[in-house]
Amino acid sequence: MERIKLNGRLTVEDINSLPEIPVEGINYEQIYIEKEPLCPEYVPPDETIISSAKRSVVIDPCRLCMPFGALWASVGVHKCIPFVQGAQGCATYPRYTFCRVFREPVSIATASFHEDTAVFGGQKNLVEGIRNLICRYQPDIISIVTVCSSEIIGDDMQGCLDEAKRQLEEEFGPEILDRVKFVITNTPSFAGSHVEGYNRAAKSFLQAFARQRSPSDKVNIIPGMITPGDIREVKHILRLMGIEGIILFDISGTLDCPLRLPQSMPYYPKGGTKLAEIADMANSLATFALSPDEGSAGATYLEKRFKIPAIIGPLPLDVHNTDRLVRKLAEVTGKPIPEELKDERGILLDAMADTFHYTMMRRVAVCGDPDIVAAATRFVCELGMEPVAILSGTQSKVFEQELKEMAEEYNFKPTIFNGGDMFEWEDFIKREKIDLILGNSKAVNISKEAGIPLVRIGFPIYDRVGYQRRANIGYRGGEYLLDLIVNTILDSKFPDDRVHQ
Amino acid sequence: MPIPETYELECDRCIPERYKHMALSNREQPVIPACNIKTVPGDMTERGCAFAGARGVVGGPIGDCIQMIHSPSGCAWYQWGTRRNLSTIYNWSGPGKLCNDSHNRRRAITTDLKEEDVVFGGVKKLKNACLETWRLTPGAGGILIYTTCTSGLIGDDCHAVAREVEKEIGKPVFVIEAPGFCGVSQSKGHHEFNVQFYKQMTEYREAHPEVCLKEEDKTPYDINIIGEFNMDWDLALIKPLFEKLGCRIVTVFTGGERMDNLLKMPDAKLNVLHCQRSCTYISNLIQQGYEVPYVRASFFGIEQTARALRDVAKFFKSEEMIDKAEQIIDKETKAITPALNFYREKLAGKKVGLYVGGPRVWHWTKVMKELGMEVVFGMCTFAHEDDYEKINARAEDGLFLVDAPNEFEIEECLERFKPDLFLTGLKEKYLARKFGVPTVNSHSYEKGPYAMFRGLINFARDIYQGIYAPVWKFTRDEDFTR
Repeated sequence: MERIKLNGRLTVEDINSLPEIPVEGINYEQIYIEKEPLCPEYVPPDETIISSAKRSVVIDPCRLCMPFGALWASVGVHKCIPFVQGAQGCATYPRYTFCRVFREPVSIATASFHEDTAVFGGQKNLVEGIRNLICRYQPDIISIVTVCSSEIIGDDMQGCLDEAKRQLEEEFGPEILDRVKFVITNTPSFAGSHVEGYNRAAKSFLQAFARQRSPSDKVNIIPGMITPGDIREVKHILRLMGIEGIILFDISGTLDCPLRLPQSMPYYPKGGTKLAEIADMANSLATFALSPDEGSAGATYLEKRFKIPAIIGPLPLDVHNTDRLVRKLAEVTGKPIPEELKDERGILLDAMADTFHYTMMRRVAVCGDPDIVAAATRFVCELGMEPVAILSGTQSKVFEQELKEMAEEYNFKPTIFNGGDMFEWEDFIKREKIDLILGNSKAVNISKEAGIPLVRIGFPIYDRVGYQRRANIGYRGGEYLLDLIVNTILDSKFPDDRVHQ
Repeated sequence: MPIPETYELECDRCIPERYKHMALSNREQPVIPACNIKTVPGDMTERGCAFAGARGVVGGPIGDCIQMIHSPSGCAWYQWGTRRNLSTIYNWSGPGKLCNDSHNRRRAITTDLKEEDVVFGGVKKLKNACLETWRLTPGAGGILIYTTCTSGLIGDDCHAVAREVEKEIGKPVFVIEAPGFCGVSQSKGHHEFNVQFYKQMTEYREAHPEVCLKEEDKTPYDINIIGEFNMDWDLALIKPLFEKLGCRIVTVFTGGERMDNLLKMPDAKLNVLHCQRSCTYISNLIQQGYEVPYVRASFFGIEQTARALRDVAKFFKSEEMIDKAEQIIDKETKAITPALNFYREKLAGKKVGLYVGGPRVWHWTKVMKELGMEVVFGMCTFAHEDDYEKINARAEDGLFLVDAPNEFEIEECLERFKPDLFLTGLKEKYLARKFGVPTVNSHSYEKGPYAMFRGLINFARDIYQGIYAPVWKFTRDEDFTR
């Protein structure tokens, strides 16, 4: 029994009495730690406050702060440095999050609010900060992002920026303002999550930089918070169809970069959407906001201001939605659907035809951001699985509507947690019979505790490598996601002797 | 050639106010760079906020409390299961089954302040949130309420809430007010946690004398380990050696500790202070308030760990303990010598850049020397003067020091000093790798524990793996770099 409990690990006592430590050392995972329960016995949670609607506290929020979304957007722009008008944590925490998810350096400047700023306002910090940033980094764009503190203090951001520009002209001459451009996005976190932050940034960047000239035959793509791999897949589809696209915000060249020496200083990733491309978005054939809650504000702005048709969602993460995107792209550009793309679609269908005996009637729980959760839920429906508990950490009308439509189409009745927290979703999962969870790294504990395997999708995934490079969207992304889902089911549900043919 | 007073980094030409943050160390006449002052706005600082220091570093490791973040959900999310401060205390996930992660890392708990709360105040919400979470967390040792920028600016009276909740639940409810904008770095958050925790602990002990350590339960060799946060189970190596020495550990402030034990902190005979940046404050307060002295200690490397054991033994003036210390040091040194010799041979003469929060720079300067490596520059995010004094005392003369370095300065130092390895944190390690410099995560470690004698082998191994990873020979292949 003792050996089973230790499972090859050493007790604290053993480690400290080994006569010699091996060259490879003894790591934390090799140490057996006797766990102590917080209270002697399990006590079931109070039924009356499990539902997030019935309590004040939020436990395990499945959403980040609003500035984070605006920073994500800004990081996807070439030689754009975000400037956080707030305390240092409001830049450092998001940087930390980007770094651990994408495993890339991310430059985010901060106004470094200290006590005096809370009293006197942040103008001085903004003026000084922007000046310092420009003379050391020579960015093309500075993306000013407000946070809770600057919003509560009530900094007049345009006024602050005007003063900053005045002083820049004085110090560096008027041409400095030709070299660097500014955009302000207001993102008080008490008014929404990272999803809204990205959405607001999509609008503010286009408002600041889109300029009408002669019409082009390009299409605009506002992807939302999907991975570099996803964005490369979008580009791949456009290339196959012979369509020139402008992708705002293109993190595929900024958050997944090669290690190539020598490196120039200061570090700037090669990629990102260029200022000229954003300007040109006012002249395109149409705007595709792939994620309705993350970017539609930008597409709608272009439609209202420049009469560019906005095609909003749904995220092409499954067959139905990808078909819809491809059809719309063909319709808007007049280009035919190419053979190669039909083949890629066929390969996905082939994979689905080969695997539905593994997937059908499996019960699935999904969590994450609204757009990706809605699309992933549709995909599991297409695989004949049954969505049971669906959580969008950010409340969304589009999400609710989408879920209703697909529930009707596939005749399922999933329990929907729209804007709920992971605590209530977790409680539900632990009581139900669920075969599979689709969710981000924050679902790992739930998956382990409930003994339900997890397929990682969405944001954030920081506990495994490579997810940022793989696509889940498009036909090829679907194929990859299908493989992940099926292999996870095979790992957990099928004895080895049942998978030989 | 005389050593210049400081290196002037090119990247700071247009923000010369940064130059006063740089110095060259000197053992005889310590040189202290400007430190613990406001950050230059827009300089791409690596510093965090006071909330991070209070919640993330000092309060976060406490094992059995409800950690209530009074803020919009973001601040709570960012503190959720990040630093690898581990604990033995696990909540139940269901009947007969414990959670997958220790209680202090398992959940993010927040009042999720909204616009209407900002306008009308969040006090009522906070009270409800505390009571609800209390009902959902049987066995919790108390509640720690943290304010943030939002709750700090709207001016909620969290202490009034805490007193009310405390009455209802019968366990300590402490408020830590360290909004993100207070102070110049996360160091202010460490400070605020220490001072506010001490004050509320003292008041609680006075109101509830039964929580103090009973006379009959005291031993002559009761110690606390202060400023130790149990990264990657460092405590699995720290505690046993002090116990072998003959000490009884009353509490650890704060790695994986229970609130009940923390309340007994002033009842020990001696505080052994490890992190001398984040926790000297409470050691001083306990010394003043309860006449419990402290010894400063470092649990990294052979020489410093040996000294920590000897100092504690010397304090108790016990011949037996002094002998015991020598026996332990002898046995431990022997246990790691063969492995250590392997790494010494591999690491001899390698150059290392050191960039950690503050104290680890001086903790590790000696350790690098023990591994035969040369420290080529030292950087601290939030160090104060006393940290730089210690670095001056431990480093070879002329070590280039940068206080509160920013991203560009880090890049320039990597290019200028060409270290074989950069000891740094999560944000900066990806930057260093883009410049072809390997790193070891010096905050949460790569594969710890790194403390004490036996942990040194893990540390040396991770350094060795960094420097000798085959990938670096490809990155430097001239056919692909020209």
